[in-house]
Amino acid sequence: MNEQQQSLTHGMGAGMFEGRKSTLSLSREDITIQVKDLNLFYGKDQALKNVNLQIPSKRVTAFIGPSGCGKSTLLRCFNRMNDLIDICRIEGAIELEGREIYDASVDVPELRRRVGMVFQKPNPFPKSIYENIAYGLRLQGVKSRRKLDQVVEQALRRAALWDEVKDRLGDNALGLSGGQQQRLVIARAIAIEPEVLLLDEPASALDPISTAKIEELIYELKEEYTIMIVTHNMQQAARVSDYTAYMYMGEMIEFGDTVKVFTNPSQKATEDYITGRYG
Amino acid sequence: MESTDTPGAKSSRVNSGAVLPGREARRRLRKVRMGKDVLTRLLVSIAGYGVVISLALIFIFLFAEVLPILRGANLESPTSYSNPGPAVETRYIATERYQESAVRFSADGQVNFFDPRSGEAQLEEQVGIPETATVRSFAFAEPRTRLVAYGLSDGTVAVARHEYALTYPDDVRLVTPKLEKPLGEDPVVLDDEGQPIEVLAVQESARGTTVAGYTADGRMLMARYEARRSMMTGETELTRTVHELPAPPSVPTRILVDTTMRNLLVGDAQGFLHYYDISQPDQAVIRDSKRVIEGDMVSVTAMEFLLGSVSVIVGGSEGSVSQYFLVRGDDNIGRITRIREFERHPDSITTIFPEYSRKGFVAGDAGGNVGIHYGTSARTLKIENVSENPIANLTVSPRNNGILYTDGTGQMHHAELWNRHPEVSMKALWNKVWYEGRSQPDYVWQSSSATDEFEPKFSLVPLTVGTLKAAFYAMLFAMPLAIFGAIYTAYFMSPKMRGMVKPTIEVMEALPTVILGFLAGLWMAPFLENHLPSVFTVLIMMPLAMLAMAWLWRFRPAWIKHHIPPGWEAAILIPVVLVVGWFAVWSSPLIEVAFFDGNMRQWLTDVGITYDQRNALVVGVAMGFAVIPTIFSIAEDAVFNVPKHLTQGSLALGATPWQTVIGVVLLTASPGIFSAVMIGFGRAVGETMIVLMATGNSPVVNFNIFEGMRTLSANIAVEMPEAAVGGSHYRLLFLAALVLFGFTFILNTLAEVVRQRLRAKYSSL
Repeated sequence: MNEQQQSLTHGMGAGMFEGRKSTLSLSREDITIQVKDLNLFYGKDQALKNVNLQIPSKRVTAFIGPSGCGKSTLLRCFNRMNDLIDICRIEGAIELEGREIYDASVDVPELRRRVGMVFQKPNPFPKSIYENIAYGLRLQGVKSRRKLDQVVEQALRRAALWDEVKDRLGDNALGLSGGQQQRLVIARAIAIEPEVLLLDEPASALDPISTAKIEELIYELKEEYTIMIVTHNMQQAARVSDYTAYMYMGEMIEFGDTVKVFTNPSQKATEDYITGRYG
Repeated sequence: MESTDTPGAKSSRVNSGAVLPGREARRRLRKVRMGKDVLTRLLVSIAGYGVVISLALIFIFLFAEVLPILRGANLESPTSYSNPGPAVETRYIATERYQESAVRFSADGQVNFFDPRSGEAQLEEQVGIPETATVRSFAFAEPRTRLVAYGLSDGTVAVARHEYALTYPDDVRLVTPKLEKPLGEDPVVLDDEGQPIEVLAVQESARGTTVAGYTADGRMLMARYEARRSMMTGETELTRTVHELPAPPSVPTRILVDTTMRNLLVGDAQGFLHYYDISQPDQAVIRDSKRVIEGDMVSVTAMEFLLGSVSVIVGGSEGSVSQYFLVRGDDNIGRITRIREFERHPDSITTIFPEYSRKGFVAGDAGGNVGIHYGTSARTLKIENVSENPIANLTVSPRNNGILYTDGTGQMHHAELWNRHPEVSMKALWNKVWYEGRSQPDYVWQSSSATDEFEPKFSLVPLTVGTLKAAFYAMLFAMPLAIFGAIYTAYFMSPKMRGMVKPTIEVMEALPTVILGFLAGLWMAPFLENHLPSVFTVLIMMPLAMLAMAWLWRFRPAWIKHHIPPGWEAAILIPVVLVVGWFAVWSSPLIEVAFFDGNMRQWLTDVGITYDQRNALVVGVAMGFAVIPTIFSIAEDAVFNVPKHLTQGSLALGATPWQTVIGVVLLTASPGIFSAVMIGFGRAVGETMIVLMATGNSPVVNFNIFEGMRTLSANIAVEMPEAAVGGSHYRLLFLAALVLFGFTFILNTLAEVVRQRLRAKYSSL
């Protein structure tokens, strides 16, 4: 067992899981999102097959798997971004706090406020840094300048960006570096007080230092938010997540405590993927 | 055997030459490639510079065509010779059209014809002054009548005309001068009491020859003579009517009678001008007197009518030259009004001579200067010192290409004149000008008319305003439709429907504008005139009906929901638009009856709004149609090209699609939308066929939507065929083209600058 753990974590930095034991258990967690028998079709192609999943509250859940396995598609189901694709059709149920989000009565913009999302490519609006963060607040009807100032500062502080940009809040956000832009986008997302944060490969376009900052940020944010992260970076998944889901060809192969998935996967496919023998 | 080849050997053989051609071949290929590269670069550069150079050439060409109108006048190759005829005072000189003959009327009544360039004598004649009388005064009618008159000491007037017969023996032009006496051989009687005629005026019109004179005993007399050749005897029969006019308040220095025989003007030694209304000679009165020369001890020293005998040019003893004409007020009484002043001469004005076919004149002064002036444009083209002695007589040739003058030294002087384009000045083009017969200065474009005395009115303001007006109303119609349409198509419409709508609208651009203009002018203009209320009904009802439809759409039954996929909602608006359109037209007569006394057009006229059938409304719609595809196409691309990750970012923040459009899409697409609008505006400014056919082409200066306009482009199209090549009008049309060119050039440059800035600010990632 110990030997296997050694071999699995090889190359992930010595002692990554040292002192970290599989103490988490889904049965003891509060569940924020419940996915039941989810099937998703793009026209005739089925992209998600019978996915069942429980996302624990205030934890970081990582989705890993080879390209095209459906992890981003699954992520986009949680805030109904897939609605924007005409040919996309969904069967099954996703419940947020016990309420079906695909119900006709659901107000989609409000759902998206509650379930924030950060994309792979930093996408600040071509506005000032300040306005980027105020944008979501203004959408919610916040007009008081003082209130806006306060929330903008707060969001930037929590995204660990305040010190870098506090003197140039009026500058165009496109002038920031890629890592700063991504943190700005995260600040923008948390400014409107979401419950869930969806991070779709948030660091894949960034350099290692920016990546480290984002990861640190994720670690801090999980105190308050339920976070789901899609990543191709195995080390990243291992470093930041509490739970890990491995997907393959639209199916949920394995889901469980990160330490367990990485050190002692129950499926051969998972092990192959993690150790790089996939493909 | 091949099968024994090892895989390694095989791959090495492949790498070493089977796939890539040989060294030499590759070298050749590189050369060819490089050659193609250089060639392409060369061709692209040539094409690029070619565009820039041809644009510059167009600009230079236009400018070169326009430049002469800014030039002043020029005097060249002066010649002098001694006066032909007796060594007495010269009373009058004039040249013939081709400057092959000229005439000198001496103070003793002798008339000498001569070659104005060489002084060679051609003919000697006598006006026929009786030996019992002496010459006391002299007058000439409008130069083109070639009529002159001598006032004599016995109260008679000798009238003569210098005539030139044109013949072409052996295809060479031959000018033969002669002297005519239209009122008979003998002088005609003006004053029955036989008093000397001290000051004289003569004028000719279809109603006969009018002579006015001031006698030595202070009476103003006016006589009209009509010569009729008797059918029976072949003798000339003369009818004569004489009227005594009220005496002028002081001794006149100059009298003028206009060609309508209604107005008589008297200048005096105190610097006053008096206006006699002689439309009813029996009840002639002095209607107005006005001081025309300011200052003490000044007098009117020269005074002549301009062509058409409406304007009077008054020259003063202090060198001032100014233009006056009668302006009728509300009481319909003409008042002597100072219209404009010309550059002051350095010395007292001695003689003024009007041009034969334009509103210009030449003036000579006591300091030996000759000034060349033009009335309408208020230009003084030249004041040149030509002599040390006062200019005694001065004349300009009928074609304004030469002057002839005397300076009291017994010498006659001639000079060639270049004065082709005095009618235009920058000031007259862009400022209000007081034209003859108008009650106030105004912006007028009226380039030609049926009469010879016509004063061309060249103000570019009405055309520029017209251009902007047409473009403004077209943009008012096209901009909202095109931009909102573009946003909807790019952002909300289903891709399949977009694939049909966008090309359809873009094909509209290929519609020849002549067809649009034709439809607008011949079908839409009368239709709108008859269904005017429908325009407003549509304007109000269409948006309301669409909103109502959108509201109803929320309650659509399931089967409709099933049949109309999302993004196709727009299609259900087509019947709504048709129904509202039909309803508007159908209800139009009812609305007219209910609110507009049965006829809205009449009602508009009654409330004081001018309504032309071809108006800005028609043009706005028709040209709007022409502009919509341009704006739509570019704006649609701009909106469609807003990166998806930005819109998704906004949606993911909880924005509705509409909030996303306002907050992110429009902002990011703004450079593209802006340039779409600017290009559309540029097209509207330059558009010709539609405005030509649907505006009525009346050059008015206003922004009334119910009145027409004339644009720069339509004006060029209308008038270029009738403008004499090389004339002022012709060059002015080039100036209009230059203005148009400048318009679009500035507009596009401005658009590009703004677009670059916007792009720098809102460029997507």
